[in-house]
Amino acid sequence: MARGLGAALVLAAAGMLGAIIARAYQERPRALRALQSALAMLLTEIVYGATPMPDALDRVARRTPAPVGRFFAAAASYLRAEPGAGTAQAWRRALADPPGWCLTADDEAVLADLGNCLGRSDAADQEKHLRLALAQLQRLQAQAEAERDVHVRLWRYLGAGAGAALVLLLY
Amino acid sequence: MFAHTFRDADRIDREIVPFLPPRLADLVAGLPPDVKGRLEELRLRVGRPYAVLLAGEEHWFLGGRGLVRDPGAAVRASAEDGERLLAAISRSSVYALEAELRHGFVTLPGGHRVGLCGETVVESGRPRTLRYVGAFNIRIARAVPGAADRVLPHLIAPGGRIRHTLIVSPPGCGKTTLLRDLARQISAGAPALGLRGTTVAIVDERSEIAACRHGVPQLDVGPRTDVSDRCPKEHGIVQLLRAMAPRVLITDEVGAATEAQALRDAIHAGVSIIASAHGTDWRDVAQRPALTPLLDGGVERAVVLSRRRGPGTVEAVWDLTLPSPRPSTARGHMPARTVVSMS
Repeated sequence: MARGLGAALVLAAAGMLGAIIARAYQERPRALRALQSALAMLLTEIVYGATPMPDALDRVARRTPAPVGRFFAAAASYLRAEPGAGTAQAWRRALADPPGWCLTADDEAVLADLGNCLGRSDAADQEKHLRLALAQLQRLQAQAEAERDVHVRLWRYLGAGAGAALVLLLY
Repeated sequence: MFAHTFRDADRIDREIVPFLPPRLADLVAGLPPDVKGRLEELRLRVGRPYAVLLAGEEHWFLGGRGLVRDPGAAVRASAEDGERLLAAISRSSVYALEAELRHGFVTLPGGHRVGLCGETVVESGRPRTLRYVGAFNIRIARAVPGAADRVLPHLIAPGGRIRHTLIVSPPGCGKTTLLRDLARQISAGAPALGLRGTTVAIVDERSEIAACRHGVPQLDVGPRTDVSDRCPKEHGIVQLLRAMAPRVLITDEVGAATEAQALRDAIHAGVSIIASAHGTDWRDVAQRPALTPLLDGGVERAVVLSRRRGPGTVEAVWDLTLPSPRPSTARGHMPARTVVSMS
């Protein structure tokens, strides 16, 4: 009885571990897509609306679901707290404490580069930087989708398979 | 007087210091209150010492422990200081300032004005914006309530109508300050003079009378005053006449014939006008052909200012409705009699 229960627990735990890793692969393309639509909104606010940065970030945050929306909300609140420090610093602080998204270091590097330019130049220049970041994120998304297709199933099977192997070994 | 100084010093702390880069903010906040109260300009030039101008043409530099005469002993502004100041005055949104960068200044809450210059981006022969800002001039705005006290009684006709008035003076003699306080008092009403408050419109092409920010006056121009900010005068006058139905129309620095004509149209529309014009004295202004339509068209009073006893010295108020007793050199506009001579 106890052996059966233990075996079931080992199986479940390994399966769950596999599922968690698989989930990260599933979530990343989703987060990247949300990020792209958020940046597209920011572009509209900046280039066509000439909305001041704290308000623009807030509007984007309100219209973007968590966790990506939380990132923009954090950047906006840092910017409001210290208006003289500039967008770059607020953006860096928000990035330093990511809102629990499944982005990789590559993805965050694109955001970090963008943050250094945000709000510092005229509308035409801002558009250039935002379009560059959007193009990079699109490329990363294609890559993330390819990885997802391979890894999601792999990690699920690997989790379940490793659990089964462990049960066989132990008992 | 002292209360004045302390209120001004307090305004510097509340309205200017929060925008400054940290190092400069500390230096300015640490100045003694009487110095803050006399602050007129604060200049940040990247790579060069911070400079300040106090009332009475006193030029100083900002040193680590207060004001210094020697530029070598002063604190220098870094490129980062400049960037932080630009970020603060633009709310981190330089792209939202395109028009302001083209005009060369940004108005802060409180009416203080930050002049900017640097590398200009030119598009089809006209400046479009600034790519790099290399120098900032923060000019402290100070309304002077009561500046019009000595003039206003002479501008009221029997029945409470405001007379058509031209204010004449060389630059820096307080024309704009006088116009602002006239707007405030006429708009609010002056019971002691039998003046009920009335609707005033200001065409503020240079954004100096009301110092609007986002269309809202930052200096007190009265409770019944509408302001057309940065609009070319000849258009602004027509627009306000049509849209806001003012009783009194105030504008600054009339020079072109089209502007004088627009003001004349306003007079014909039954609106009292108060305008100012550059000129060393009355004769100088009366001889300008561009202003003839205005002078022929019913201006009743001329106020002549100088800075003989400080900015805002009223030299004389002329009555232009009286016939000239002697042949005049200036197209019949030699003032016949001084209503009041303040000299």
